[in-house]
Amino acid sequence: MEIKLEVNRKHYILDVTEDERLLDVLRNRLGLTGTKEGCGEGECGACTVIMDGKTVNSCLVLAGQADGRRITTIEGVGSRRSPHPVQKALVEVGAVQCGFCTPGMVLSAKALLDQNPKPTDDEIAVGMSGNLCRCTGYDKILRAVRKASEEVAE
Amino acid sequence: MTQVIGNGSIREDAWGKVFGESKYPADFNRPDQIYGVVIRSTQAHARIRSINVDKARLPGVITILTAEDMVYNRHGVLFRDQPVLAEERVRMIGDPVAAIGAESLAAAKQAAALVEIDYEPLPAIFDPEEGMKPSALPLHPELFPDTNILYHLPIRRGNMDEGWTQAEVVVEREYSTQMVDHAFLQPEAVLAYIDERGHVVVQVATQYAHYDRGEIAHALGLKNSKVQVKTTTVGGAFGGREDISLQIIAAMMAWKTMRPVKFENTRNESFYSHSKRHPMKMYYKTGAAKDGRLVALEAKIIGDAGAYTSWSPNILRKAAVHATGPYEIPHVKIDSYAVYTNNPYTGAMRGFGAAQPVVAYESQMDLLAKELGISQVEIRMRNLLKVGSTTATGQVLTESVGAEACLKAVLPYLTGKEGRV
Amino acid sequence: MKKRGVGIGCTWYGTGYGNGFPDVSSAFLEIHDDGSATVLTGAIDVGQGSSTVYAQIVAEELGLKPEDITVVTGDTDVAPDSGTTAATRQTYNTGNAVLRAVRQAKGKLQAYAARTFSCTTPEGIELKDGYIGVKGDPSRRMPLGEMVSTARLQGERFISAESFTAQTTPVNMENGQGAPYWPYAFGCQAAEVEVDTETGIVRVLKIVAAHDVGKAINPTQVEGQIAGGVAQGLGYALLEQVELKEGKIQNPALSSYLIPTALDVPEIESIIIEETESSGPYGAKGLGEPAMLPVVAAVINAIDDAVGVRITSLPATPEKILAALAEKEPERR
Repeated sequence: MEIKLEVNRKHYILDVTEDERLLDVLRNRLGLTGTKEGCGEGECGACTVIMDGKTVNSCLVLAGQADGRRITTIEGVGSRRSPHPVQKALVEVGAVQCGFCTPGMVLSAKALLDQNPKPTDDEIAVGMSGNLCRCTGYDKILRAVRKASEEVAE
Repeated sequence: MTQVIGNGSIREDAWGKVFGESKYPADFNRPDQIYGVVIRSTQAHARIRSINVDKARLPGVITILTAEDMVYNRHGVLFRDQPVLAEERVRMIGDPVAAIGAESLAAAKQAAALVEIDYEPLPAIFDPEEGMKPSALPLHPELFPDTNILYHLPIRRGNMDEGWTQAEVVVEREYSTQMVDHAFLQPEAVLAYIDERGHVVVQVATQYAHYDRGEIAHALGLKNSKVQVKTTTVGGAFGGREDISLQIIAAMMAWKTMRPVKFENTRNESFYSHSKRHPMKMYYKTGAAKDGRLVALEAKIIGDAGAYTSWSPNILRKAAVHATGPYEIPHVKIDSYAVYTNNPYTGAMRGFGAAQPVVAYESQMDLLAKELGISQVEIRMRNLLKVGSTTATGQVLTESVGAEACLKAVLPYLTGKEGRV
Repeated sequence: MKKRGVGIGCTWYGTGYGNGFPDVSSAFLEIHDDGSATVLTGAIDVGQGSSTVYAQIVAEELGLKPEDITVVTGDTDVAPDSGTTAATRQTYNTGNAVLRAVRQAKGKLQAYAARTFSCTTPEGIELKDGYIGVKGDPSRRMPLGEMVSTARLQGERFISAESFTAQTTPVNMENGQGAPYWPYAFGCQAAEVEVDTETGIVRVLKIVAAHDVGKAINPTQVEGQIAGGVAQGLGYALLEQVELKEGKIQNPALSSYLIPTALDVPEIESIIIEETESSGPYGAKGLGEPAMLPVVAAVINAIDDAVGVRITSLPATPEKILAALAEKEPERR
C-alpha cells in the first residue's frame, strides 16, 4: 500500500506492507536509526517520535496509520551547531549514560515543553514516565528537563 | 594542583547520543546481508532425539546451523560448558538449538517455526536445595560426576562455641532473594561479516571485546588475529553482556555463507539469551554481646546457578566473603554453595553476589539492635570496619575504609524522625 | 492508613576480579605534535563513562584539556586487552594502566624538555595549561605541541604501552582465609518510605546516599552512578522478579517485568566520601556496583520502621507486606 509521510520536513511516498510499523519504516527504509526499538510493545519509549505534535511509540503505529502525518524523529531535532535546549541540558547536566533511551527522552521532553513551557516537577516526571531508562535513575534527566524549561521560558 | 581530576568533565559521547547519531549494533547493516533467527529449547531438560530441518528449507533460506556446523561447539567464561548450539541435550528453556539464516527476517522466522525438534523429556531440577541432595541427578556429569554443587566455599574464623557463649542476643532468620533480569534497554544484536582481508568481523555491544574475540576464534577454529570484534555503542550492560549470546552463531553463519549476517533480538528473545541474577537462599544466625558488639555469625548461602556455570563460583565466593557485611565479627562460620538446576542460567549482574546478602546482614543488624534496645545507628557504629580491621577471610584492611564516614554522612537525614534512630 | 518510616543500609564491596586471578589492564598512548594525545585501551564504556575518565587522566598528566584527548576502545584489532567492564574495575584498573602509560610517555618528554631548557632534572619539568616548562622559571616554557613537534623532528617519539595488575590472593578452600579483593568500596544509604497499610504499596520518598569512592575523578558521573544504582536497587527491593514456572519465564516482556519509571524514583541526594586509596589513580577506587547495594536494605528496614513488619524475601511486594501485616494483627490486639 502506498503512503505519504512527512518526516523531519521531507516528503516521502512509500510502498509499505500491511504489517509494517512506523518504526520499521523509519529505521529500515529511511535509515533514521536514531529511533530505537527496546521492547516492541510500547512500554519503554525508546521508539518515541512526534506525530502531528504528539508523542507516539512508533512500534505501536502501523505505517498505514501514519499516512498523511507529519513526523519528527530525533534526526529532526537540533544539531551540533544548534542543539535544542533539551539536548544541551542533557549533555551539560550529565544525564546521558548508555544513551539508548536518550532520543526518546529528547522527543518526550521536547513535546512536553512545546505544550507546557513551564511544567512543575510533577508534570515533568509524569511527562517523562513513558520513557524507561535503566542507567541514570532518571534523576539527572528530570533535572535536565527542568533546566531546559528555564531556558525555553527565557 | 589537579585541573581536570575532580571536575565534572563533559563526556564526548553524550553529544552523539542526544542527536541519535550513536550507533548500537542493530543500527548497522551491510549490503547483501542475511537475517538470522535462533531456535531455542522449549524444554527445561531433555535429550534431543532428532532435529529435522527438511520443512524449513523454504525459498529464501540460505543456511540452517546446528551443533554439527561448529568447529568447537563450546563457550563459557570459567568453564566452556555451554554449547553454542545444543548437542544431545538441552538443560534449560532458551538453550539455542539451531539457527536459520535467510534473505529476510520474515523468511527466517517462518522457517524457524518449521524446524522439528524431537525431545525426550528428562527429570528436571528447579529448586537448588533439591539439586544439592545426594540423590539428585547430576546435570553436568562431565564436570561433576556425582553432584550438582559446582562450588562450595567454607569460611572459618575464630571459635563458634566461644562466639555463642559471648552472645547476649542471637537472631536467627532465613532470607531469600529473587531472580532478576538486567533489562538493559538495548536488546542484543550483532552484525558479522567477512572483510576484505578474509577476517571475521563481529560488530556487537559487549562488556569485553577481547573475551568475545577469543571465544569466537576458538569456536570457529581461527587465530585471534583473524577475528576482529568491533564494539559499537553499548546500550547498558550491568553484567548481562558478559557471557556470549549471539556472537558465535552470527560469526559462524557469516563464515559458512561468506555473507554478512545480522541477528537482532526482540525483548522476548533477549530475556532468554542472557544470564540472570542468582536467586539466593540465606540462613543467618548472628549473635551480639550486651554492648552491641557482634560476636558470632553462622551463615549458609545457596545460590541457584541455573543450567550453566557462567560466573557462579566467583559470585558465590563474593557472597560468602561479603556475608558479614561491613562489620568485624571474630567468630565466623560461613558456607556458600552454587548449585546447578534447569532454571535459566545465572551469571554476572551489578552487585555480583554481594547484592543478595545485603538484605540478610542488614536486616540482622536492625533486629539485633531491637533485641538489645540500642539504636540501629549505634549497633552499626560499634561494629563497622575501619583501618586495621580484619575481615572474615583474615584480610587486614590497611587503608581507605570509608564505612564510618559514609554512615556519619547520612545521619543528619535520620535524626528527628520520631526519635527512633 | 499511610505510615512513614526511615531505614539505613551499610554495605561493602570488594572490587576487581579478585581471588588471585591476574586482573590486568593495558593501554597504548601517543602524544601528538600539536599538543593532543590518543590513548587506546580495550576497556569498553558501556554507558557509565569510563572513556571520559581516561581522557581526564591523560589531560591531567599532560596539562591539556580532556577534549584534546581521543580515547579509542573496544576494537580488538587496535586496542590492547583491558579485561571486562565489570567488577567495578575500570576506573581503578584501567585507570591505573592509562595513568602508567601517560606517565611513561610524559617521562620521555620531560627528559627531552629538561635538556632543552637546561634544567638539571626531568622532575623539574611541569606540564600545565597547554605548556611545558620549568617549575618556578616562567621564562623557560613553550606550548606543549611545539616541544613535541621539535622533538619529533629530531627523531623522538612519545609513545608508550603499560599495564596494571590488581593485587589479591586466592582464598584457602578449606577455611576461606586470604585477601580476595582490593580495594573495598563502602556505602551507606538512608531511605524514607511511606507504606499504605490498606494496599501494601510502598512509596519511597527520599534516598540519601553516601559512597566512599576513594577519589571522585568525575563527580558528575559519580552522581549518575549513584542515582542509577539507587533506581536498580529500588527495583530489586520492591518490584522486579523473573517469574519461573518449571524453568519457564512467565514474564519475558517489559510490560510484565516491571522496572522503575521516572515516577518510582524519589529525590536522591548523593554524598561523595573520599577516603584515599593509595594504589588507585589519584586515590580512586570504584562505584559502579556498590551504588545499588545499600538502598535494598535501607528500604526493607524503613518498611519495618513504618509498619513493624520484617520482609525477609525480596521483592517486598504489596502482597507480602499485606500478608505480614495480617499475621501481625492478632498480637496488636
